[in-house]
Amino acid sequence: MTTGFEINEKLPTDLNKVNPFIEQTFQKILDLIGANEEIFKVKLALEEALTNAMRHGNALEPGRLVKVRIKAGPKQISLDVHDEGKGFDLQSLPDPTRTDNVARPSGRGVFLMRSMMDKVEFYDNGSGVKMFKKLS
Amino acid sequence: MGLEITINTREKDVYLVFPKGEINTQTYQILEDQTKDILNKARAIVFEMGGVSYISSMGLSAIFRIKLAMEERGGTIALVNMQPRVQLVFDTMRILSPQMFASLTEADDYLDKFLDGVQDGTIKPRDPLE
Repeated sequence: MTTGFEINEKLPTDLNKVNPFIEQTFQKILDLIGANEEIFKVKLALEEALTNAMRHGNALEPGRLVKVRIKAGPKQISLDVHDEGKGFDLQSLPDPTRTDNVARPSGRGVFLMRSMMDKVEFYDNGSGVKMFKKLS
Repeated sequence: MGLEITINTREKDVYLVFPKGEINTQTYQILEDQTKDILNKARAIVFEMGGVSYISSMGLSAIFRIKLAMEERGGTIALVNMQPRVQLVFDTMRILSPQMFASLTEADDYLDKFLDGVQDGTIKPRDPLE
């Protein structure tokens, strides 16, 4: 019986690689734990983290990599996404839900990650993010 | 999963857009590209979202850009019949709430009032510099 799995991957900076990687990963997760509404939230958080890492962290430079580590068990999932950029000031992100900020796209990805996961921690000056979710 | 877009005319200058699939990092551009032609002539665009199983922030931003482009021309958009997961993403971001409807009938009521407002001058195009 499978009790979990771990994925360690280095993705090239290419936005077209994000969703195929996610689809492949989430098929494994579905095989492990079956249909679960919470998985959708993890999928969204992973897409936001990978897209941010490539667009903002690696500035879409194809030579830069994004390191991804995923640990999945029947009751919890942890994600770790790290880019090769300089990081960012978390405090400088606008609140994307404020009326005067809704037309600005920045901050939506981080806001969604925090809303969908139980725990979100940035490290290395923001060039890395670790996220965790319990599955009920 | 990819994204397919079907566009029908609902009434003169009012278009019904049926996206089917996921609106994500890989597919959001399909939505923008395929609605580009109607943006210049539509008074309203209704997105029938029942076929959308997933949306990310890139998809949200694409729909938001379409909304802003329409408002600059004195038009509007409406979103109807969202699946709960997609609704959750919109609700989390707290954007577009006044333009989300459970059914086409509800959206029609909103559009009728909006288009009447444009015609009688009580609703003005959005200033792009705002």
